[in-house]
Amino acid sequence: MRTVAHLGNGAKQTPGLSEQELAPRELFDEELIMYLERDQFVAATSQPVQRAALSARATVGLWALRVFVVLVSLMVIYTFIDQLH
Amino acid sequence: MAATEASTAAGLAGPQLTGEDTARSLDRSRVHDARRQSKRWRLLWLLVGPGILAMLGENDGPSMIAYASDGAQYGLGFFVPFIPLLFAMAYVCQEMCMRIGAVTHRGYGELVLQRVGPVWGWFAAGDLTLTNLVTLVAEFVSIRVGLAYFHLGAGVAVALGLVLVVFTLSGGRYWRWERIVLGMALFNGLFLLAAILVKPDVGAVARSFDFSPFPGGSFNTLLLLLASTIGATVTPWMIFFQQSASADKGMTPHDIKHGRYDTAVGAVLAAVFGIGALIAGAALLTHGGSGIQGFAGAGFPEALRHVAGGAAGAVFALGLIEAGAVAILTISASTAYAAGECVGVSHSFNSSPRSAALFYAANIGVALLAATVILIPGAPLLSIALNANVLATVLLPVSLVLMVMLANDKGLMGPWVNKRSTNVIGIAVIAFVGLCGAAYGIDSFLQTVHIIGS
Repeated sequence: MRTVAHLGNGAKQTPGLSEQELAPRELFDEELIMYLERDQFVAATSQPVQRAALSARATVGLWALRVFVVLVSLMVIYTFIDQLH
Repeated sequence: MAATEASTAAGLAGPQLTGEDTARSLDRSRVHDARRQSKRWRLLWLLVGPGILAMLGENDGPSMIAYASDGAQYGLGFFVPFIPLLFAMAYVCQEMCMRIGAVTHRGYGELVLQRVGPVWGWFAAGDLTLTNLVTLVAEFVSIRVGLAYFHLGAGVAVALGLVLVVFTLSGGRYWRWERIVLGMALFNGLFLLAAILVKPDVGAVARSFDFSPFPGGSFNTLLLLLASTIGATVTPWMIFFQQSASADKGMTPHDIKHGRYDTAVGAVLAAVFGIGALIAGAALLTHGGSGIQGFAGAGFPEALRHVAGGAAGAVFALGLIEAGAVAILTISASTAYAAGECVGVSHSFNSSPRSAALFYAANIGVALLAATVILIPGAPLLSIALNANVLATVLLPVSLVLMVMLANDKGLMGPWVNKRSTNVIGIAVIAFVGLCGAAYGIDSFLQTVHIIGS
């Protein structure tokens, strides 16, 4: 957790500043952290999720759809280029 | 609910806060306060955004031209009920994206890449980049067409689009970006104003809800109409955008109900404004509307001026400028999210340009690239614009299938997985979109190579 020293507060390094004076800033930072869910922090979302084990049927289905879509896209692009002429 | 949300993180042991976390938690603190104080409207105001932006962003230049062309060529029948039907389909898809983003806090690109596999992640990003680039060219064309009505040229269109992209990025906060674009998107209502200005027969509009008369013409023309109208409603960029924006906004499972309101409001507004463009276009039906090529010169605005007066033409032209501008912002954002997610670097409006250099560079770069195309003398802008929606429709089924797979992944979604009814509707949408896109692509190709006659 970040402390007062990281908040850019002008009083952060001032010796003799009472705990009471520091408290509101520190509380503010703590509260900020509490508004985010555990898995919402950048540190958490930077970790990759585990790879799912796709069934053979799902993999074949996805590849079939992919190939089909690429073929149709090529047809659309060919038609588009032909129309230009 | 908010208490649960807060307590979830309370036990966190010393997380390393980034600037992105701080910005997001500030936004979340406002949501928390509104929820704690039971301020319903305030809560709704804070949580709306990604859904409305995805839907109104898709009411872009080519889409509004497509609706107006439908009206000018075929009148109101069939399309008045067909547009809401398509937006109901879009709602089903976009609700899934919002839910996945709120539950996983991750974008579509990174989830596909990590969960399904890198090949599929890069395929999805490749499809997105291709369709986004083509669509962005069409958006700049749309601004150019709108500005042409006011005797302003392509250079102004390029400058306007790029300045808007840079300006909205300058705040370093998701919230600021979202509110600026949301404010601009509401001007999509200009198409409704244009419809009112052409003084339509209200009775005829009401009667057209019986899906008749069915559009005539050749089979290929009908397929083109279906494919381009579907492409005007559901597209790959919307999937990337809403999921990533929901995560970037900081939405959580507690916000899903409001995310649904947001998406539904967006769908209703988009359908109403889309019908507005259709009605405005239909005013040209008896004045040689079928001969109007939307992107040729000032096209529709000029034609409307002759039929319904200068105000209708000007409003329609301003609508085209707005539609193009908002879409440039949302489509560039979806490209930037996808780039950051697939490369695995910071991808948030809450990050500074220094810590999310690729995100900001992709956002500006893709807009810049598209803008360059419209400045090329003799570039086939009309054909690019007309084919943008069709290409998006053809490539859409793979994105939709992967989205439904993610929404059914219990390991990711836990109790928020799709219900059986959502899956049935989702699969029906995929089948419909896939069939229309493929039928048009194959039929057009066979005609082009003269295997079948037109």
